[in-house]
Amino acid sequence: MVGPSASDVRSVLQLPNPSTPTPGPSQLRRTQTVERPRKPEGLPREVYSLIGPTAVPTLVAQFAKPRLKQKPNLGGSGRRVRWEWKSFGNGARSDGLKLSHWTKAGADPEAEYPFAKYNTQSNVLTYSQDEYTRLLEDPGWTKEETDYLFQLVQEFDGRFYIVHDRYEYPNGTPRSLEDIKDRYFSVCRKLVRNRPWAGDDAGKSQLLASLTFDKERESTRKKYLASLEQRTPNQIAEEEALYVELKRLEQTERKFKKDRDELLRTLLGIESGLPDIVADEDGLNGGSASYAETRRNRRKGGEVETPVSATPSASTITLNQPAPKRQQSAKSAAYDALHCIQRIDLPPNATTSTKSSHVPVYLRSYKLPAPKTAAAPRIAQVLGELGISHTRLVMPTKENCAQLESLIEAAAALVETKKLVDKVDQDIRVAKIRLASRTSDGDEGETPGAMDADDDGEGAEEDEEGRAQSVVSGRSGRGRKQARRSMSISSVDTSTTGGPKRKKRRGE
Amino acid sequence: MSSAERVRVRGLNIFRPIIYGNTAVVLNQKEREALTTPDHTHRWTVAVRSAASAPDSEIVGGADDLSYFIKRVTFKLHDTYANPTRNIDKPPFEVSETGWGEFEVQIRITFIPESGEKAYTLYHHLKLHPWTVVGSGEPEQPPLETAAKMGPVHSWQYDEIVFHDPFQSFLNTLVAHPPTALPKTKRRPIPFHTANPASLEASKGGVPEFCLDMEREEAERLEAARKAIIAEQDKWRATLIEKEKELEKMNKSLSESA
Repeated sequence: MVGPSASDVRSVLQLPNPSTPTPGPSQLRRTQTVERPRKPEGLPREVYSLIGPTAVPTLVAQFAKPRLKQKPNLGGSGRRVRWEWKSFGNGARSDGLKLSHWTKAGADPEAEYPFAKYNTQSNVLTYSQDEYTRLLEDPGWTKEETDYLFQLVQEFDGRFYIVHDRYEYPNGTPRSLEDIKDRYFSVCRKLVRNRPWAGDDAGKSQLLASLTFDKERESTRKKYLASLEQRTPNQIAEEEALYVELKRLEQTERKFKKDRDELLRTLLGIESGLPDIVADEDGLNGGSASYAETRRNRRKGGEVETPVSATPSASTITLNQPAPKRQQSAKSAAYDALHCIQRIDLPPNATTSTKSSHVPVYLRSYKLPAPKTAAAPRIAQVLGELGISHTRLVMPTKENCAQLESLIEAAAALVETKKLVDKVDQDIRVAKIRLASRTSDGDEGETPGAMDADDDGEGAEEDEEGRAQSVVSGRSGRGRKQARRSMSISSVDTSTTGGPKRKKRRGE
Repeated sequence: MSSAERVRVRGLNIFRPIIYGNTAVVLNQKEREALTTPDHTHRWTVAVRSAASAPDSEIVGGADDLSYFIKRVTFKLHDTYANPTRNIDKPPFEVSETGWGEFEVQIRITFIPESGEKAYTLYHHLKLHPWTVVGSGEPEQPPLETAAKMGPVHSWQYDEIVFHDPFQSFLNTLVAHPPTALPKTKRRPIPFHTANPASLEASKGGVPEFCLDMEREEAERLEAARKAIIAEQDKWRATLIEKEKELEKMNKSLSESA
């Protein structure tokens, strides 16, 4: 035994055993079952348990055993788990690399790699040339640099610190992190705002809200943090001292005020006009005035509160501007629905509209939006393919008219995009022809050479003749050959076929 | 009328759902012989009515009397009819005639003076021959015997007459006559409309009735079309951006090799 047991200490100090006076019923029973053979007959158990240290020899059993939490059964009924070194494929990888890891024996080898799902792809928006010129022009940024920025954001999954770190646009102005973020988010915002949106308005404004970036605020915040960090120890000490001083002054002020109030109260009593005097004389002006005051306050508070409570949350107000006014009580909404009334939010200055500006009665379907005349046939065609008539609705209600309008808008945007694709296609075709003609220009210098190699110099004279027509005339064959050589060097990557063959021939 | 009532209620639109159109039936031989004009093959009724149908009524729409805001409906028929301009000053606002051909009917709705609104003109193509699906191979105009078997032809257009900033007095009048709501779900055949060719089957088998399901169904069709267009648009935009990149690359190699 290393030291005295707890029971020894207790007996020395004449303390009652803590477990015996108020033992839990279950504990008591357990000790009894253990102790039963030792308990003398005829002795009440309470007395027996009070007798002395002999009654509590199982201190360890009492304290340790029942009070400990049951050990969690890890890994199931004590069976040992076998782990195996196995190779696996990561579904998120495109290169199909096989790595190995330890897995539990018997795990399904075909199971998908559980961490593959965490490889999320950030979808960075892209924009077309047309969208750039229409929406995204910015004097501080060129399209190339914006492209570069978007490529970096895509590459680094929108981790702007890394983007900023790697940002190295050739001949570009140095960009701060805020510049980069500001440009990126403003571009995204403009794109989202101007593209047709498939979901509902709430989703759109939510996305827009997630794309907000206040450059000014962000830089002020950072500047402030930096200045906070750059304080010298002296400054910090001074600041703290000033703070303590301020607190002290406030405290003095409070104390002074309290003393003054105390003095006024004792000297003048109720006439001091102090607000916190408890007027013992009930029903006198003080009490009733304060009562009226609270009444007024309450009523005012009620008035303030009702419009707030009528609108469910602040967020809807910001999302949907006309909502607060349109959001009437259910009763008036039902009234409006019954009588087919639609309320419009008036701009405050439009109250004095004259007779001439009055919108006369109309049939709703006659106000259906007409697509722009130039694109109208193609829009009609697009809608026709989808089985929608762009001029007629079965039920031209307000909602359906609005739906048709947004549909026509989307169709117009689609037609516009297709037109642009056609234009770019045409440009590509032109560029291809130009490229081809350029390479064939190079080839015209090359192919005869290749032919020479095949003919083994037989038709060299004829080739010279042919070339005289195709290449700039008025030069000697020798000079032309010189020109040819220099050309083959400069256009080495455009004329891959001619190059090696020619060289071979030269080597002969 | 007090001057206080001649105030326009600003920021308020109030509309009334109406339908306009016609119903046509093929005349049988006996009926045709009874006519002074034996070449007429159809009897038709062109009308302006409230959109909701009265329960168990034999006509499309017309549950409400519209004379509380419509003073007169003028139907201008084809010039070959005797006095082609028919003024109808009390409900039902309809004209029944016999004829052999389809033509455009000009319908002019005059509102009650309290409305302060000018008369409104709309047009309806008088439909006599049964609806056929374009491109289905069926003849555009089936022979009369077949048409007679197919029952009455209905051609109705739902619309809403919108009064913008109505006078208080007129608004009071309108509010005193709330329109009968359309039934929520389809109880009877729905009226066929060219904007929804798929409704041809659903339009068969009795007097059609307008219902709110038609609106919902159309909203869904529009929404689906919009989603399709936007998906298409995204696809094309991606193509465009890709092509632009390609073009840029080509231009670069062009300028490099130049």
